[in-house]
Amino acid sequence: MSAAAGSAYATGGMGQSNAETLHKLSALATLGILIGIFAFGNAAFLSVNNGLTVLLQTSVIGLLGIGMTMVIITGGIDLSVGAVLALSGTATGLMVKAGVPVPLAMAGGVGVGALCGLINGLVVTKLRITPFVATLGMMMIARGTALQLTGAAPVSRLGEAFGRLGNGALFRIVEQQPNGLSKVAFPGIPYPAILLLVVALMAAFLLKRRPLGRHIYATGSNEEAARLSGVNVNRTKIAAYVMSGALAGLAGNVLMSRLVTAQPNEGVMYELDAIAAAVIGGASLMGGVGTISGTMIGAFIIGVLRNGLNMAGVSAFIQQIIIGFVVIAAVFVDQLRSRR
Amino acid sequence: MSPLVEMIDIEKHFGGIKAVDRVSLDLREGEVVGVLGHNGAGKSCLMRILSGAMAPSAGTIRVGGAEANIDSPHAARGLGIETIYQTLALADHLDAPANLFLGRELRTRWGNLDERRMLEEARKVLARLNPNFRNLGDPVSRLSGGQRQVIAIARAIYFDVKILIMDEPTAALGPAETAMVSELIRQLKQEGIGIFLVSHDMHDVFELCDRVVVMNRGRKVGSHSVSEVSKDDVLSLIIKGELPGGWVPREAERVQ
Ligand SMILES: Nc1ncnc2c1ncn2[C@@H]1O[C@H](COP(=O)(O)OP(=O)(O)OP(=O)(O)O)[C@@H](O)[C@H]1O
Ligand SMILES: [Mg+2]
Repeated sequence: MSAAAGSAYATGGMGQSNAETLHKLSALATLGILIGIFAFGNAAFLSVNNGLTVLLQTSVIGLLGIGMTMVIITGGIDLSVGAVLALSGTATGLMVKAGVPVPLAMAGGVGVGALCGLINGLVVTKLRITPFVATLGMMMIARGTALQLTGAAPVSRLGEAFGRLGNGALFRIVEQQPNGLSKVAFPGIPYPAILLLVVALMAAFLLKRRPLGRHIYATGSNEEAARLSGVNVNRTKIAAYVMSGALAGLAGNVLMSRLVTAQPNEGVMYELDAIAAAVIGGASLMGGVGTISGTMIGAFIIGVLRNGLNMAGVSAFIQQIIIGFVVIAAVFVDQLRSRR
Repeated sequence: MSPLVEMIDIEKHFGGIKAVDRVSLDLREGEVVGVLGHNGAGKSCLMRILSGAMAPSAGTIRVGGAEANIDSPHAARGLGIETIYQTLALADHLDAPANLFLGRELRTRWGNLDERRMLEEARKVLARLNPNFRNLGDPVSRLSGGQRQVIAIARAIYFDVKILIMDEPTAALGPAETAMVSELIRQLKQEGIGIFLVSHDMHDVFELCDRVVVMNRGRKVGSHSVSEVSKDDVLSLIIKGELPGGWVPREAERVQ
C-alpha cells in the first residue's frame, strides 16, 4: 500500500485533519495535567481505589456522551438523555418490583430508552421539529412519566441481583483474614467501566467502519449533499437518536443499579455534562465533526475535575463554575486553531 | 427506438412563480443536448426534477419508454440517471473517496466500509479527469473549487450511467480540466450515454452538443439542432425568448 493509501486508510474516509488530531492531543494533555495537579495536591488521588471511583463515576457520563456524540455529528442535539436515563431506570426498577427477572427488566429499560429515542427521531424527521425543541419536549415527557409512574418516590429494596451491574467488578480479589473477616485486596474492574469500554469501542467502530457511521458524518456535514447522494438522511438521523436513547437507558440502569434504588429524580442536567464531554472532545454543534475517543477524553476531564475538586474540598458550586470555564476554553482553543 | 428519457409537460411552481412551465424534452442514446437560458430561467429546476432532487408540480417522465416514478435521488440513480449538481453536493468534512462513494459505499464481506478499495477506485477515476489529483485523504472543504468539481464529475461517471445531467460542470475548471471534460463528454457520447449539458458557454455548447434547448422564464422557447442555428440565433432565444425576425433554418438556407 502506498503512503497516501496508508494515511487515507487510517483516517477512514474522514479526512481527519491535523487540527483534529491536535485537538485530541491537547485535550489529552489537559487531562494529564489535571491528573498531575490533583496527584500533587493529594497522594490518595492516584490510588487504585480512587482511579476506580473515577472510572465508575465517569461511566454514566461516558455512556450518555457516546450517544450524544452520534446525535451531535448528525447536526442535532439530544436534551432528553438525563430524563430518559431516569425513566429507563425507574422502568427497570418497577419491572423488577413486579417480579420480572433482572436481566430481562434491564433489557426492557434499555428498550424504553430506545423507544424514547425513536420518538425523538420521528419527531425530528417526520414532523420536522428542530432537534432542540423535539428533545426538550421529550425531556419533559420522560421526566414527567418517571415521576408519575413512581409517585415521585424512589423504588427501593430491589434485591441484590439488581445491584450487581452497578456495584460488581471483574477480577475482584477478596482475602480471608486470620480473624475470620474478609478483606478486599483488589477491588476489581467495575462492570460499568467495562461496559463503557465495550460500548465506546463498538460506537467508534460503527462511526469509522460502518456505512451507517459514514452516513452520520455526511448528514451532519451537508444534509442536502447526503440526500442527493442517495443517503437516507431520515433513517440515519433516527438511528442516531435511537442509539442515544438506548445508551441513556443503559446509563440509567447502571446508575440505578449502583444506588440499588430506582430514582425518578436522578440524572437532572446530565444532558449538559454529556454535551460538555462531546464538545470538550472536539465535537461541533454545527455537525459533521466529532469522535468517540474525543468524547471519552472529554468525559474523563469532567470526571477527574469533579473527583479531584471533591477530594480537595472544593464545593459543588465552584466545580460547576470551573467546568463551565473548561467548556468555553476548549471550544475557544479549537476555534483559534481552525481560524488559522 | 424510444428515447432514453422523455419529460412531458413538466411544471414546477414556487408559490406564485412558475419556475418550470409546461416543458417537454427528450434525449436519445448518444445525444448531447445543451440546455441554455438566462439566470433563473428554470434550467436547474428542470434538471433537478429529472434527478429526483425536486418533485415536479405536474408532468410525467418516461425512461426507456416506460413511465418512471422518480421520487428520490436514489430512485433516479437506480434508473441510471447521474447528476453533477450546480452546487456540487459534496460533504465538506469527508475526503474525496468518501464523497465519491457516498450512499453507495463499497463494502467488505462483513458489510464494513472497504476503504482500501474505495481509495484505489477513486484514484483511478479521478486520474481520468485530472492526472495530478492528490489530497485524496483531505476533507474536500480544503480542496480548490476545480478539484471539488472534478470529484462531483467523477462521482457521476464512476457508476453505471445511462443518462448524465451536467449542470454547469466546468464553471470552476481551468482550461486543461475543461478540455478534459469536453473529451470525456465525447467519450461518453460514443458509449451511447445521453447527456444534458447545462451551460452558459456558447462555444462549448456548439462544440459538444447535437441539439440546444433554450429556456426563458420557465418556458421552453426553442429546440434546435446546432446545425440549423447560429450563436446569434440562440442568444436571441435566450434574451428575448424568440428567434430573430426573418429567421430560416441555416441548412434550409443552404438548400434554397
Ligand atoms: N427551492 C426554491 N424555492 C423557491 N424558488 C426557487 C427554488 N429553486 C429555484 N427557485 C426559483 O426558480 C427559478 C428558476 O431557478 P433555476 O435554479 O432553475 O434557474 P437556472 O436557470 O438554473 O439559473 P442559473 O443559470 O442561475 O443557474 C428562479 O426564479 C428561482 O428563484
Ligand atoms: Mg442553475
